[in-house]
Amino acid sequence: MVAWGLLLVLLAAEFGASFLPLARSARPCVLIPAVFMVVVVGTAFMQVKLGPTVVRLFAVAALLWLSILLGLGSLDPMTRTNYSVRAENLR
Amino acid sequence: MSEAHLTNEFQYSSAGHRAETAISGMWLFLATEVLFFGALLLSWIYCRHWNQAGFDAGARQTQLAIGTINTVILVTSSLVYSTGLAFMEAGNTHRLIQCCAIAWGLGVAFLILKFGIEWHRDFAEHLFPGQDFAISGSLGGGARLFFVFYFVSTALHGLHMIVGLILVGWIILRARRGEFSFIYFTPVVVVGLYWSFVDIVWILLYPLIYLVGRGS
Repeated sequence: MVAWGLLLVLLAAEFGASFLPLARSARPCVLIPAVFMVVVVGTAFMQVKLGPTVVRLFAVAALLWLSILLGLGSLDPMTRTNYSVRAENLR
Repeated sequence: MSEAHLTNEFQYSSAGHRAETAISGMWLFLATEVLFFGALLLSWIYCRHWNQAGFDAGARQTQLAIGTINTVILVTSSLVYSTGLAFMEAGNTHRLIQCCAIAWGLGVAFLILKFGIEWHRDFAEHLFPGQDFAISGSLGGGARLFFVFYFVSTALHGLHMIVGLILVGWIILRARRGEFSFIYFTPVVVVGLYWSFVDIVWILLYPLIYLVGRGS
Protein backbone atom coordinates (compact mmCIF):
# COMPACT_ATOMS: atom_id res chain seq x y z
CA MET A 1 0.00 0.00 0.00
CA VAL A 2 2.95 2.32 0.76
CA ALA A 3 4.44 1.46 -2.63
CA TRP A 4 1.11 2.22 -4.34
CA GLY A 5 0.90 5.60 -2.56
CA LEU A 6 4.49 6.37 -3.57
CA LEU A 7 3.69 5.48 -7.17
CA LEU A 8 0.72 7.86 -7.17
CA VAL A 9 2.85 10.66 -5.65
CA LEU A 10 5.51 10.11 -8.33
CA LEU A 11 2.82 10.06 -11.01
CA ALA A 12 1.46 13.38 -9.72
CA ALA A 13 4.99 14.85 -9.71
CA GLU A 14 5.52 13.69 -13.28
CA PHE A 15 2.14 15.06 -14.35
CA GLY A 16 2.86 18.44 -12.72
CA ALA A 17 6.40 18.62 -14.13
CA SER A 18 5.04 18.20 -17.64
CA PHE A 19 3.47 21.68 -17.42
CA LEU A 20 6.73 23.42 -16.39
CA PRO A 21 8.07 25.85 -18.99
CA LEU A 22 11.17 23.78 -19.80
CA ALA A 23 13.23 24.18 -22.96
CA ARG A 24 12.25 21.68 -25.64
CA SER A 25 15.58 19.85 -25.37
CA ALA A 26 15.26 19.66 -21.55
CA ARG A 27 11.74 18.23 -21.57
CA PRO A 28 12.83 14.57 -21.38
CA CYS A 29 13.68 15.41 -17.71
CA VAL A 30 9.94 14.83 -17.15
CA LEU A 31 10.84 11.13 -17.39
CA ILE A 32 12.83 11.17 -14.11
CA PRO A 33 9.83 10.34 -11.84
CA ALA A 34 8.96 7.49 -14.25
CA VAL A 35 12.38 5.95 -13.67
CA PHE A 36 11.74 6.03 -9.90
CA MET A 37 8.30 4.47 -10.51
CA VAL A 38 9.99 1.60 -12.36
CA VAL A 39 12.32 1.09 -9.37
CA VAL A 40 9.32 1.02 -6.99
CA VAL A 41 7.44 -1.56 -9.10
CA GLY A 42 10.61 -3.66 -9.48
CA THR A 43 11.35 -3.74 -5.77
CA ALA A 44 7.86 -3.72 -4.22
CA PHE A 45 5.73 -5.73 -6.68
CA MET A 46 8.32 -7.84 -8.54
CA GLN A 47 10.47 -8.30 -5.43
CA VAL A 48 13.72 -8.45 -7.35
CA LYS A 49 15.65 -8.57 -4.05
CA LEU A 50 13.93 -11.74 -2.81
CA GLY A 51 14.44 -13.98 -5.85
CA PRO A 52 17.40 -16.27 -6.54
CA THR A 53 20.76 -14.56 -7.25
CA VAL A 54 20.45 -15.24 -10.96
CA VAL A 55 17.30 -13.08 -11.02
CA ARG A 56 19.33 -10.03 -10.00
CA LEU A 57 21.91 -11.00 -12.62
CA PHE A 58 19.22 -11.04 -15.33
CA ALA A 59 17.80 -7.71 -14.12
CA VAL A 60 21.24 -6.03 -14.14
CA ALA A 61 22.08 -7.60 -17.52
CA ALA A 62 18.82 -6.24 -18.98
CA LEU A 63 19.65 -2.74 -17.76
CA LEU A 64 23.24 -3.03 -19.01
CA TRP A 65 22.21 -4.09 -22.52
CA LEU A 66 19.46 -1.47 -22.57
CA SER A 67 21.98 1.25 -21.66
CA ILE A 68 24.31 0.01 -24.43
CA LEU A 69 21.42 -0.02 -26.92
CA LEU A 70 20.23 3.47 -26.01
CA GLY A 71 23.75 4.87 -25.50
CA LEU A 72 25.21 3.69 -28.80
CA GLY A 73 21.97 4.39 -30.65
CA SER A 74 21.83 7.96 -29.33
CA LEU A 75 25.44 8.78 -30.21
CA ASP A 76 24.62 9.78 -33.77
CA PRO A 77 21.71 12.16 -33.08
CA MET A 78 23.45 13.64 -30.03
CA THR A 79 26.81 14.30 -31.65
CA ARG A 80 26.14 14.94 -35.34
CA THR A 81 26.68 18.50 -36.56
CA ASN A 82 24.54 19.68 -39.43
CA TYR A 83 26.12 22.29 -41.71
CA SER A 84 23.99 24.52 -43.88
CA VAL A 85 24.54 24.24 -47.61
CA ARG A 86 23.70 26.95 -50.15
CA ALA A 87 21.06 25.94 -52.66
CA GLU A 88 23.27 26.88 -55.65
CA ASN A 89 25.91 24.38 -54.48
CA LEU A 90 23.44 21.52 -54.72
CA ARG A 91 23.47 19.63 -57.99
CA MET B 1 -3.79 -29.91 -4.89
CA SER B 2 -2.33 -32.87 -6.73
CA GLU B 3 0.76 -34.65 -5.41
CA ALA B 4 2.53 -33.98 -8.73
CA HIS B 5 3.06 -30.36 -7.74
CA LEU B 6 5.09 -31.33 -4.68
CA THR B 7 7.38 -33.67 -6.58
CA ASN B 8 9.99 -32.64 -9.09
CA GLU B 9 11.23 -33.94 -12.42
CA PHE B 10 14.71 -35.52 -12.77
CA GLN B 11 16.39 -32.28 -13.84
CA TYR B 12 15.54 -30.56 -10.55
CA SER B 13 17.09 -31.36 -7.20
CA SER B 14 13.96 -30.31 -5.30
CA ALA B 15 10.56 -28.64 -5.67
CA GLY B 16 12.20 -25.40 -4.52
CA HIS B 17 14.80 -25.73 -7.28
CA ARG B 18 11.99 -26.15 -9.81
CA ALA B 19 10.26 -23.01 -8.54
CA GLU B 20 13.50 -21.00 -8.68
CA THR B 21 14.08 -22.18 -12.24
CA ALA B 22 10.60 -21.09 -13.32
CA ILE B 23 11.01 -17.65 -11.71
CA SER B 24 14.49 -17.20 -13.18
CA GLY B 25 13.17 -18.24 -16.59
CA MET B 26 10.51 -15.55 -16.48
CA TRP B 27 13.13 -12.94 -15.50
CA LEU B 28 15.30 -14.02 -18.44
CA PHE B 29 12.29 -13.67 -20.76
CA LEU B 30 11.59 -10.21 -19.31
CA ALA B 31 15.23 -9.25 -19.96
CA THR B 32 14.67 -9.99 -23.66
CA GLU B 33 11.45 -7.95 -23.50
CA VAL B 34 13.46 -5.00 -22.12
CA LEU B 35 15.53 -5.04 -25.31
CA PHE B 36 12.39 -5.45 -27.45
CA PHE B 37 10.86 -2.31 -25.96
CA GLY B 38 14.32 -0.69 -25.81
CA ALA B 39 14.33 -0.49 -29.60
CA LEU B 40 11.02 1.37 -29.35
CA LEU B 41 12.55 3.82 -26.85
CA LEU B 42 15.49 4.37 -29.18
CA SER B 43 13.12 5.15 -32.06
CA TRP B 44 11.46 7.77 -29.85
CA ILE B 45 14.83 9.37 -28.99
CA TYR B 46 15.92 9.38 -32.63
CA CYS B 47 12.69 10.63 -34.18
CA ARG B 48 12.09 13.34 -31.56
CA HIS B 49 15.67 14.60 -31.75
CA TRP B 50 15.38 15.40 -35.45
CA ASN B 51 11.74 16.58 -35.37
CA GLN B 52 11.20 18.15 -31.95
CA ALA B 53 8.61 20.77 -32.87
CA GLY B 54 6.50 18.43 -35.00
CA PHE B 55 6.85 15.55 -32.54
CA ASP B 56 5.67 17.75 -29.66
CA ALA B 57 2.82 19.12 -31.80
CA GLY B 58 1.66 15.53 -32.23
CA ALA B 59 1.99 14.79 -28.50
CA ARG B 60 -0.28 17.75 -27.66
CA GLN B 61 -3.13 16.07 -29.62
CA THR B 62 -3.18 13.01 -27.33
CA GLN B 63 -5.88 12.42 -24.70
CA LEU B 64 -4.02 13.25 -21.47
CA ALA B 65 -6.94 12.42 -19.15
CA ILE B 66 -7.37 8.92 -20.58
CA GLY B 67 -3.62 8.27 -20.45
CA THR B 68 -3.41 9.38 -16.82
CA ILE B 69 -6.45 7.34 -15.73
CA ASN B 70 -4.98 4.31 -17.49
CA THR B 71 -1.70 4.75 -15.61
CA VAL B 72 -3.56 4.79 -12.27
CA ILE B 73 -5.53 1.71 -13.39
CA LEU B 74 -2.42 -0.31 -14.24
CA VAL B 75 -0.52 0.70 -11.10
CA THR B 76 -3.56 -0.30 -9.04
CA SER B 77 -3.88 -3.62 -10.86
CA SER B 78 -0.24 -4.44 -10.00
CA LEU B 79 -0.96 -3.64 -6.34
CA VAL B 80 -4.09 -5.80 -6.35
CA TYR B 81 -2.29 -8.74 -7.98
CA SER B 82 0.64 -8.57 -5.53
CA THR B 83 -1.90 -8.43 -2.68
CA GLY B 84 -3.43 -11.63 -4.06
CA LEU B 85 0.02 -13.20 -4.13
CA ALA B 86 0.51 -12.28 -0.46
CA PHE B 87 -2.84 -13.94 0.34
CA MET B 88 -1.70 -17.04 -1.57
CA GLU B 89 1.52 -17.18 0.46
CA ALA B 90 -0.74 -17.37 3.51
CA GLY B 91 -2.76 -20.15 1.85
CA ASN B 92 -5.88 -18.08 1.14
CA THR B 93 -6.91 -19.20 -2.36
CA HIS B 94 -10.32 -17.52 -2.14
CA ARG B 95 -8.73 -14.07 -1.70
CA LEU B 96 -6.24 -14.82 -4.50
CA ILE B 97 -9.14 -15.48 -6.89
CA GLN B 98 -10.84 -12.24 -5.82
CA CYS B 99 -7.65 -10.19 -6.30
CA CYS B 100 -6.94 -11.78 -9.68
CA ALA B 101 -10.52 -11.07 -10.79
CA ILE B 102 -10.15 -7.40 -9.80
CA ALA B 103 -6.74 -7.14 -11.55
CA TRP B 104 -8.29 -8.78 -14.63
CA GLY B 105 -11.20 -6.31 -14.58
CA LEU B 106 -8.79 -3.37 -14.28
CA GLY B 107 -6.84 -4.73 -17.26
CA VAL B 108 -10.03 -4.93 -19.32
CA ALA B 109 -10.94 -1.36 -18.27
CA PHE B 110 -7.51 -0.24 -19.50
CA LEU B 111 -8.06 -1.85 -22.89
CA ILE B 112 -11.56 -0.39 -23.24
CA LEU B 113 -10.27 3.12 -22.45
CA LYS B 114 -7.25 2.74 -24.72
CA PHE B 115 -8.69 1.07 -27.78
CA GLY B 116 -12.45 1.53 -27.41
CA ILE B 117 -12.38 5.24 -26.60
CA GLU B 118 -8.94 6.79 -27.17
CA TRP B 119 -8.03 5.11 -30.45
CA HIS B 120 -11.60 5.65 -31.67
CA ARG B 121 -11.25 9.41 -31.02
CA ASP B 122 -7.80 9.46 -32.61
CA PHE B 123 -9.15 7.93 -35.80
CA ALA B 124 -12.16 10.28 -35.77
CA GLU B 125 -9.82 13.27 -35.46
CA HIS B 126 -7.69 12.00 -38.39
CA LEU B 127 -4.62 11.44 -36.25
CA PHE B 128 -3.74 8.13 -37.88
CA PRO B 129 -0.71 8.97 -40.09
CA GLY B 130 -2.49 8.28 -43.36
CA GLN B 131 -3.62 10.39 -46.34
CA ASP B 132 -5.97 12.77 -44.49
CA PHE B 133 -3.71 13.36 -41.48
CA ALA B 134 -4.95 16.29 -39.36
CA ILE B 135 -1.63 18.14 -38.93
CA SER B 136 -0.11 19.68 -42.04
CA GLY B 137 2.58 22.23 -42.86
CA SER B 138 6.08 22.30 -41.41
CA LEU B 139 5.02 20.32 -38.31
CA GLY B 140 3.24 17.59 -40.28
CA GLY B 141 6.26 15.32 -40.81
CA GLY B 142 7.28 15.25 -37.13
CA ALA B 143 3.67 14.84 -36.01
CA ARG B 144 3.25 11.87 -38.37
CA LEU B 145 6.36 10.28 -36.90
CA PHE B 146 4.98 10.82 -33.41
CA PHE B 147 1.71 9.09 -34.28
CA VAL B 148 3.55 6.19 -35.91
CA PHE B 149 5.36 5.78 -32.58
CA TYR B 150 2.07 6.22 -30.70
CA PHE B 151 0.11 3.61 -32.62
CA VAL B 152 2.94 1.04 -32.79
CA SER B 153 3.89 1.35 -29.11
CA THR B 154 0.32 1.30 -27.78
CA ALA B 155 -0.58 -1.64 -30.06
CA LEU B 156 2.45 -3.64 -28.86
CA HIS B 157 1.67 -2.80 -25.25
CA GLY B 158 -1.99 -3.71 -25.81
CA LEU B 159 -0.91 -7.07 -27.24
CA HIS B 160 1.12 -7.71 -24.09
CA MET B 161 -1.90 -6.70 -22.00
CA ILE B 162 -4.07 -9.25 -23.80
CA VAL B 163 -1.48 -11.98 -23.15
CA GLY B 164 -1.39 -10.86 -19.50
CA LEU B 165 -5.19 -11.05 -19.24
CA ILE B 166 -5.13 -14.59 -20.65
CA LEU B 167 -2.47 -15.56 -18.08
CA VAL B 168 -4.34 -13.97 -15.15
CA GLY B 169 -7.51 -15.76 -16.33
CA TRP B 170 -5.53 -19.02 -16.40
CA ILE B 171 -4.40 -18.40 -12.79
CA ILE B 172 -8.03 -17.82 -11.75
CA LEU B 173 -9.11 -21.09 -13.40
CA ARG B 174 -6.30 -23.10 -11.79
CA ALA B 175 -6.95 -21.51 -8.39
CA ARG B 176 -10.66 -22.37 -8.70
CA ARG B 177 -9.67 -25.98 -9.40
CA GLY B 178 -7.70 -25.95 -6.15
CA GLU B 179 -4.31 -26.45 -7.81
CA PHE B 180 -2.50 -23.92 -5.58
CA SER B 181 -1.64 -23.94 -1.90
CA PHE B 182 0.78 -22.11 0.39
CA ILE B 183 3.32 -24.83 -0.59
CA TYR B 184 2.91 -24.59 -4.36
CA PHE B 185 1.99 -21.34 -6.11
CA THR B 186 4.91 -20.74 -8.51
CA PRO B 187 2.68 -19.94 -11.54
CA VAL B 188 1.05 -17.13 -9.50
CA VAL B 189 4.51 -15.61 -8.91
CA VAL B 190 5.58 -16.01 -12.54
CA VAL B 191 2.41 -14.45 -13.99
CA GLY B 192 2.70 -11.64 -11.42
CA LEU B 193 6.19 -10.82 -12.75
CA TYR B 194 4.82 -10.57 -16.29
CA TRP B 195 1.85 -8.46 -15.18
CA SER B 196 4.10 -6.00 -13.33
CA PHE B 197 6.44 -5.82 -16.32
CA VAL B 198 3.56 -4.80 -18.58
CA ASP B 199 2.82 -2.13 -15.96
CA ILE B 200 6.46 -0.93 -16.13
CA VAL B 201 6.28 -0.64 -19.92
CA TRP B 202 3.22 1.60 -19.63
CA ILE B 203 4.87 3.68 -16.85
CA LEU B 204 7.60 4.52 -19.38
CA LEU B 205 5.31 4.95 -22.40
CA TYR B 206 2.98 7.34 -20.53
CA PRO B 207 5.45 10.27 -20.27
CA LEU B 208 6.88 9.58 -23.74
CA ILE B 209 3.44 9.82 -25.33
CA TYR B 210 1.50 12.25 -23.17
CA LEU B 211 3.86 14.40 -21.10
CA VAL B 212 7.19 15.26 -22.71
CA GLY B 213 5.66 17.22 -25.59
CA ARG B 214 2.77 18.64 -23.58
CA GLY B 215 4.15 21.92 -22.18
CA SER B 216 6.46 22.90 -25.03
